Amino acid sequence: MAKSKSCVVLPFLIGLVASIVLGWWGFPKVLYSQKTQPIRFDHIVHVEDQGMECEDCHAFRDDGSFTGLPTNANCVDCHEDVQGDDPDEALFVAEYVEKEREVEWLVYQKQPDNAYFSHIAHKDIECINCHPDVANMSTPPVYFENRLTGYSKDTMKMWQCERCHAQRGTSNACFVCHK
Amino acid sequence: MGFDRRSFISLVVGGAVGTTLTPVIWKTLDDVSIWSQNWSWIPRLKYGEEGKRFALCKLGADAYGIKIKTIAGNPVVAEGDPDHPLSLGGICPLGAASVQLLYSPSRVRNPKVKDGNTFKDISWEEAESLLAEKIKAAGSDIAMVSGDETGSVTDILTGLVGQAGSKNAFLMPSESGPAAQALALLGGDGQIGYDLENSDYILMLGADVLGSWGNVTRNGKAFAAGRKKDAQYVYVGPAQNGTAAVADKWVPCAPGTEAVLAMGLAGVIIADGGGRPFWSGFSQFSQFVSSTYPLEKVAQITGVPAETIKELAQTLGKAKHPLVLTAAGASQGLGAFEAVAGMCLNMLLERINETGGVRVLPWNPRVIDAAMEHKNLLANDLVAYLSAIADGSASAPAVFMIYGANPAHSLPNLAKVQAALEKADFLVSFSSFMDETAALADLIMPDSYGFERLDDSYSPYGSAQPLYTVAAPIIKPVYDTKPAGDVLLSVASAAGLDLGFDSFEDVVQAKAEALGADYDDMVDGTAWVGTEFPVQDLELWSTPLREIEAPVADGKSLALAPVVRLKIGSSKLATPPFGTNAIRYDEMSGREMYVLVNGVTAKNLGLQQDDAVKLTSASGECQARLRIFEGVMDNTVVAPLGFGHTAWDDFSRGKGDNVFKLLPASTEDQTGVSRFATVQVVLGKA
Repeated sequence: MAKSKSCVVLPFLIGLVASIVLGWWGFPKVLYSQKTQPIRFDHIVHVEDQGMECEDCHAFRDDGSFTGLPTNANCVDCHEDVQGDDPDEALFVAEYVEKEREVEWLVYQKQPDNAYFSHIAHKDIECINCHPDVANMSTPPVYFENRLTGYSKDTMKMWQCERCHAQRGTSNACFVCHK
Repeated sequence: MGFDRRSFISLVVGGAVGTTLTPVIWKTLDDVSIWSQNWSWIPRLKYGEEGKRFALCKLGADAYGIKIKTIAGNPVVAEGDPDHPLSLGGICPLGAASVQLLYSPSRVRNPKVKDGNTFKDISWEEAESLLAEKIKAAGSDIAMVSGDETGSVTDILTGLVGQAGSKNAFLMPSESGPAAQALALLGGDGQIGYDLENSDYILMLGADVLGSWGNVTRNGKAFAAGRKKDAQYVYVGPAQNGTAAVADKWVPCAPGTEAVLAMGLAGVIIADGGGRPFWSGFSQFSQFVSSTYPLEKVAQITGVPAETIKELAQTLGKAKHPLVLTAAGASQGLGAFEAVAGMCLNMLLERINETGGVRVLPWNPRVIDAAMEHKNLLANDLVAYLSAIADGSASAPAVFMIYGANPAHSLPNLAKVQAALEKADFLVSFSSFMDETAALADLIMPDSYGFERLDDSYSPYGSAQPLYTVAAPIIKPVYDTKPAGDVLLSVASAAGLDLGFDSFEDVVQAKAEALGADYDDMVDGTAWVGTEFPVQDLELWSTPLREIEAPVADGKSLALAPVVRLKIGSSKLATPPFGTNAIRYDEMSGREMYVLVNGVTAKNLGLQQDDAVKLTSASGECQARLRIFEGVMDNTVVAPLGFGHTAWDDFSRGKGDNVFKLLPASTEDQTGVSRFATVQVVLGKA
């Protein structure tokens, strides 16, 4: 009885394609959990409707350090009480202002503590080169948290810092970022 | 064609090849390497605005201003405060550890009540109500101990006890009690201070000025400034310590005999024509000194050669602004008559209320009517009271409140002290930390830490000027604690004892007002500095002096020289984690502390370096390792106070032994002051 010929090429291709699909599409879904900001902060309302400047909340202090995200102290200037109909504003006032708790905002580009990033040293670079363009969003983007590392999906890797430094002729010596 | 083994292998190989073309392997490897660094004990940085806030450091015997660097309002680092007169930019080892202690594992995180051999958590309402009931039921059978000489919480406590009809209010032993009694014996009235900054010759009779005596930080600054002005510093003591190492001269002197040396110096000065014969009491004093302290006798007791005593006396007499500081080596345990010896020497040199001399400051103003006068509080002897309770000659109080102090670890006659505390019907601790006294307590009402509460301080001992400092809280309490001042006022009110104030802030404001200070300015850290000094009419023979009882060498035992090193802790505080790194290999090996003797003494006892040794005195035993150090007098053993904790945390518990176990206390006739500066101990192999 003649021996039937084994099927080799097709299984190889199936394995190849399946693993590529799973690796590029399925793996990130497993690796990252999806989170939303505790409060849906609407930048458009604040910037376009209320005419606020970016620096009203994200400014450099006198010593050159960057304020980063605003604290309740900034927000209560207007939101000590509920101003409008937005349920998220009501939630903010009830849960954070009245209870004197700071909002635990999720920072898309949060760097590890061993990397010292100076915003003022990078002030000539557009914010959106590194950050999502939240200024034009009514709803902040979904935050993807790496289940293994605990960092954001958008946390910049060291090679990205080094590449930009190299392109701009800035030193890549260790102590430039690791103090 | 079928799907067989070869097909399956082909599928797997295809999958493996495909996987290498995806981020699965490379990303996972990268993330695992990051995950492997995410240990829970790695501190996480807090980002935010930098600030500097004023705070008081009361972790040792001193109370001085420091600056706390904050990030987003959270304290991160302590620094000296250049603007505070007792810091001048400097900071002590305990102050440097102060931020870390805020989060110490030994912090008591909420009120607790004794439940068998452990504690049960209770609410503040329950704790306050329980204490109020106990106070009501106790009536006048109530007592208190405070380790805070300078703060107004102590006034509230003495006021509460006084309002209840008790006089059993006590401070932990320190230098200021004997000093105040000495001044009273000479006809004076006030708090003693020292103008170190303007003196050109400072004779430190046992006073470890740069290590533990008085305002350590300010002393260091005064020393540094004095060096530039060619001021001279002479240290007299049984061992070469940090102060001796940088002084112009170290004069070895048997422990506990520094006051005898002061009398010897007075004798030489008088013999050389010093002093004024027309002074009231001069002739009696002169006669007493010459008959009781002939030079050869002083030399024999102190171990200081007669020629050296003469030379010291002559240098003192020639100096323009000399100053004599008399203290026990461990800054506690001196008798009033020993303090008198130092005062008399300063009087002979005409150094009272003079530039670069001894200053007499007005007493801490009393704003709570029922509070005890500060000088009366200093005169109440805690060790004698506790010893009497242990012996059964005094009854244990129904309610015994302990604030800012750890008597169960840091007092002489320790076994009796612990027995007395256990005899109290209801022992209440206000400690921020689980110290040995809190561990014994029936109720713990944890005081908020210094940075978490309003605090104040009036002229800590040694301060050359009347000084009042107020520090506002820097952060909200990290745990479920409350400021003891407010808790005590609330409890007093619930117990029906009206102290006249509703809040601790009101008390502090009243004190500021009594001094003529502006509270609003002070609360930002600007210290109020007084310029008025009460006029004193002192007499060298206001009270007949007596011969100071000096340790007697018997040829078998050694004189114990206990020392305080702030990095090891204080009578309030065990070794902070910060301090453990500063304890040297020759101060502690593993969990055993070192005691020091010189080579000749070790040889006479048949002991060698690193031998395990036992120190035995009439009141207890201690274990240690032996270190041979030639900067110690013959027949003397130097041992550090501050080790041997049984409570606290892993950073201090079970390390070294408690030298207080070796120290008995003798009561000085006439003054009732407990003396415990030294003791004869037998040193042998363990």
